[in-house]
Amino acid sequence: MAYSKRLNFIFRAPTKIIFGTGAAKEAGIEAEALKGTRVLIVTDQDLVKTDLVKTVKDALGAKCAGIFSDVTPDTGLHIIDRGTKYGRTLGADLLVSVGGGSSIDTAKGIAICLTKGGRLEDHAGLNILDGPITPHIVIPTTAGTGSEVTYAAVIKDHEHKRKLLFADNYLIPNVAILDPNMTVGLPKRLTAATGMDALCHCIEALHSRQAEPIADALAFHGIRMIKEFLPRAVENGGDIIARGQMLIASCMAGAAFSNAQLGIVHALAHCIGARFGVPHGIANSILLPHCILYNLDACPDRYSQIAEALGEEVGGLDPSKAAEQAAKTIWEFTKAIGMPQTLREMNVEESGLEECAKDALMDGSIVYNPKPVFDPGEILKIYQMAF
Amino acid sequence: MAYRFPSEEWIHEYQKAINASEDYKKSGATWTAGAVCLVVLANPSIDMEKEIGIWLGLNKGVCEEIRLVTVEEAQKAPFVITGDYSRWKQVVLGELEPIQGMMQGKLKLKGDLPTIVRYVKASQDLVECASKVDTRFADESI
Repeated sequence: MAYSKRLNFIFRAPTKIIFGTGAAKEAGIEAEALKGTRVLIVTDQDLVKTDLVKTVKDALGAKCAGIFSDVTPDTGLHIIDRGTKYGRTLGADLLVSVGGGSSIDTAKGIAICLTKGGRLEDHAGLNILDGPITPHIVIPTTAGTGSEVTYAAVIKDHEHKRKLLFADNYLIPNVAILDPNMTVGLPKRLTAATGMDALCHCIEALHSRQAEPIADALAFHGIRMIKEFLPRAVENGGDIIARGQMLIASCMAGAAFSNAQLGIVHALAHCIGARFGVPHGIANSILLPHCILYNLDACPDRYSQIAEALGEEVGGLDPSKAAEQAAKTIWEFTKAIGMPQTLREMNVEESGLEECAKDALMDGSIVYNPKPVFDPGEILKIYQMAF
Repeated sequence: MAYRFPSEEWIHEYQKAINASEDYKKSGATWTAGAVCLVVLANPSIDMEKEIGIWLGLNKGVCEEIRLVTVEEAQKAPFVITGDYSRWKQVVLGELEPIQGMMQGKLKLKGDLPTIVRYVKASQDLVECASKVDTRFADESI
């Protein structure tokens, strides 16, 4: 596997990762280790009614000062404001997020505001925090976002209809507790969609212009694990082994893309999600093979290796043919796990694709796409193929 | 003649290079988002006791204004990109693309990322212009 002579990278993965069935009960011990005395649990309106949050609350015991459960699927600045106010009232000195990407990112936002003061939008940018923020333990209840190990948070500014990116090393959570029990109740479709998000993280990290050997290793193995265990987790939500392996694969994918970055798939998915409300994992799943075909001439060898990680026999094939096979395999895979195949199925309106194409050029992920993209017309063609 | 980076002489050469660039004229043609300020962090080892800001008044593919400013004044720009001297040296030498540098944590960005991302090509062209200035770096012997 050849890397450029100019290869240079920084790899960050400081999060302590704890894995095991029942590991959520370690929350109290980890809170103690982080010297947390007033813990605020951050979760969503549905999860708070389940035993999942109760398990964490019980594990924290007297350290649990309160539960903030106002998180919605598309978290926003107003929710962060509310959570920060509540956290200040409680005197919170540690956050434990229990949920998917939205809860985790909300906690990241609250952690910034609790420590640095002001409103979250005052801190928008890249690497502008000047020191550590409120410590944060993450207990994911989905296997896809990888946000438990990433340095970024995406928060919506609902008032101005835009998404703000916060990216900073200080945002990387201190601890991630991966407990398969916490994902057992996830419905089939959500299991499939979040799993496809993780697969997309692996593939985007691999085709990124910032790809490097350490992230590659995580991403390639992540692909193999997802190919094997996602169908099992979708088929039988109670398959604790598959649930566990998916949590690990998602976490590895998170570490891979947090370092190697993403590409055009996420840029396009973000825009289709923002405009038409298509869930992120589903948008990624639909767009991924089309984007591979678009990028194919820029890095056929990479996609050939991806096809191999997906279990295809590509030895002896021309790299371009092998790369095409990667796209075909992904289509077969997403069909098998019941994912929608077109944007049309997700009620996307064709008339809105042109605006999405323009927006996609402003998404941070596009910078790392292996094929430089400056023309919205090219993006529109990909959307139309996926429509 | 080599110009010391950063200095009054250097920035004026840089402005000339930007305004002579057909590529930047094209890639920055729709930029109306305001000034970009590049802040070079203090580095006493090369006699830079204070941060220095380079204020770039960019508008529609033209650098209308360029001046050295204090770090306080720099913060008034809608986009502030901050880095160590050695990072800016890499940028000027064309070894580090600024947007990649921001994503990797090598440079800090205060401002709206999507706007900056929209102008990736323009940022590359600005770096290209910087690399055309005959530059002398303070950490190198003459």
